Amino acid sequence: MILALIPSLFAYREMSTVRKRLKPVEIASDLTNVFIEVRRQEKNFLLLKDQDSLQQLRKQIGMLKGNIDDIEADIIGEIGSENYTALRQAIIEYERIVQQLADNFVLQHASLNELTRLGRDIEPQLSGDDLRTFLVLRRDEKNLIIYRDANAIERFRNVFTSLRSVNSPELTRYAAAAEKLYLLYYAEKSHDAEMRKYAADIQAFAESVLQGEREDIDNLLTTSMYLLLVSLITILATGIIINTRLARSIVRPIRVLEKFTQRVATGDFSDPPVIEGSNEIAALSTALNQMASRLKDTVHSLELAIRNLHDKQGQLVEAEKLASLGRIAAGVAHEINNPLAIINEKAGLMQDILQLSEDFPHKAKFLEQIDGIFNSINRCRTITHRLLGFARRVEVTIEPFELNEAIHETVTFLQNDIASKLVRIDLNLSGDLPEIRSDKIQMEQVFLNLIKNAVDAVAEGGIISISTSRSDDRFVLVSISDNGPGIPEEMIPHIFEPFFTTKERGKGTGLGLFVSHAILKKLGGKIQVQSEPGRGTTFLIDIPVRILPDKEASP
Amino acid sequence: MSQARILIVDDEKEFAAALAERLCLRGYDATAMFSPEDAPALAKEIQPDVILLDLKLPGVSGIEMLMTMREFVPGVEIILLTGHMDLAQRIQGMRLDAFDYIMKPIQIADLIEKIEKAGRIRDRKE
Repeated sequence: MILALIPSLFAYREMSTVRKRLKPVEIASDLTNVFIEVRRQEKNFLLLKDQDSLQQLRKQIGMLKGNIDDIEADIIGEIGSENYTALRQAIIEYERIVQQLADNFVLQHASLNELTRLGRDIEPQLSGDDLRTFLVLRRDEKNLIIYRDANAIERFRNVFTSLRSVNSPELTRYAAAAEKLYLLYYAEKSHDAEMRKYAADIQAFAESVLQGEREDIDNLLTTSMYLLLVSLITILATGIIINTRLARSIVRPIRVLEKFTQRVATGDFSDPPVIEGSNEIAALSTALNQMASRLKDTVHSLELAIRNLHDKQGQLVEAEKLASLGRIAAGVAHEINNPLAIINEKAGLMQDILQLSEDFPHKAKFLEQIDGIFNSINRCRTITHRLLGFARRVEVTIEPFELNEAIHETVTFLQNDIASKLVRIDLNLSGDLPEIRSDKIQMEQVFLNLIKNAVDAVAEGGIISISTSRSDDRFVLVSISDNGPGIPEEMIPHIFEPFFTTKERGKGTGLGLFVSHAILKKLGGKIQVQSEPGRGTTFLIDIPVRILPDKEASP
Repeated sequence: MSQARILIVDDEKEFAAALAERLCLRGYDATAMFSPEDAPALAKEIQPDVILLDLKLPGVSGIEMLMTMREFVPGVEIILLTGHMDLAQRIQGMRLDAFDYIMKPIQIADLIEKIEKAGRIRDRKE
């Protein structure tokens, strides 16, 4: 803006100069007008040749001089002091010639009167040829007065020569008067030319003064115009700059914020815009960022809550499924159990009777068959007792114990299986575990099931890694990994279901993981599986340091 | 105490009969009773040393039956038989001074051991 002010100030200065210069222009214009008036009076004077018009002319010349005096400085400025002196001189010369002409006119008048009077006087004195010649002379006199040229005087002189014989002093004076008039005419003519010359000079000066002033003003106006143009351009440029800056400081940040809000609307909270400064937009940006941040937190916790809900729902569905399966299994076990008991007793009675009987053919064969029945009954008993016992109603006996010790005991218990299969057990037990308060026997049952499964899963010389660690204040983590074939992905959802087994028929009941899951659930723990076919399987068991009451499992 | 009188109360006739026979073969005086309604009267009549009582009898709660038996046969030792041992019932049974429990299908050796033990305790009481 200040940039735009500078040329404007210059323009203002130029304009005020123009205003100041307008006065000399006016005067210069007056000068021309006065001079035109001088020339008009001059014409009148030359035409009328009287004192009146002379006075008028003089008056105009005086005014001209006065005007010139008024703008002396300006004129000097325009045309230089030398020309100014020349102008003054021209006016003086002009005035002088006017005076000479005035004198000339007086003398002409006198000479003309004398000529006319002498002519009238001489005429009666002559007669005959002289008179006729004289009348010719008078005619030439008239021609001289009219034409005022050299021919006229020449003819007059020729005619006068032929009158030389007439001896008359009056005639001589008459001729002298004609000669004088002619001289006066001649002088007038030369004065006239001279006067015109000076007049032309003065007019040229006056016009040049006016022209100069006009040009100056023109220049000033042009300069002002340019300055104004520069101002305009500067203002425009300033405007553009201000607009740009405004755009930068207002529009652009708002656009940035707008884009950010659009991104936020699609759930993208990344790169919140940072708008520096202390203006409203910066405050708006801060507020928006705070809002977005809070929104992001809210969205995040909502997503987390939804995910937790999904997980919980999945877990609930899973737990409900397992519970239903457990109930069905227990019901089936119960219904099977009574007929099984009958078979057991009948077979037992048969055995008793056979043993009391004397030998008879095939007695040994019969006893062998009964043993076979007992074996099957025992298998069934194992299944039904485990189902009825673990799935529904085994008491929880809480006692303090060392988790690592329980694992050691379990591994020792399985030593025969481990040794016969040349399995390597890597124990990586943390020394920083709190004492556990839970059901040790049932917990050992879980470890037994899982380690037994791992031993069964690995090939000869396989490796089983067992590690314990502290998760937090409330839980310890037991990890049991094997490098067996792993569990096919499609089987993983079913491994905790009862009677689900991948072992050969008769080798597994399909209850180990089901029971382990049920025990852990009852004891407030959790079991998870990670398996990669071809690489092995890992069971992760979360065990609460203090048993958490499981409402569902309570009697 | 090889002549201990044993009363088996179980509505599962085949089971009870076979078991009674087996016990008899082992020298016990075992009687099987299949009807819960008649069981108390029979128990009163024969005054068994040990009663094998199924807790799941039709129409009558095992616990009620246990209390009736105690009333009718003072000093009798009762071994609870069950294929479906509810924790609550087991606890209640033990509170009511049942001697022990055994789960079906029975391992005959276990049962004999419990019966012998119960008989010894009963002898001591007398």
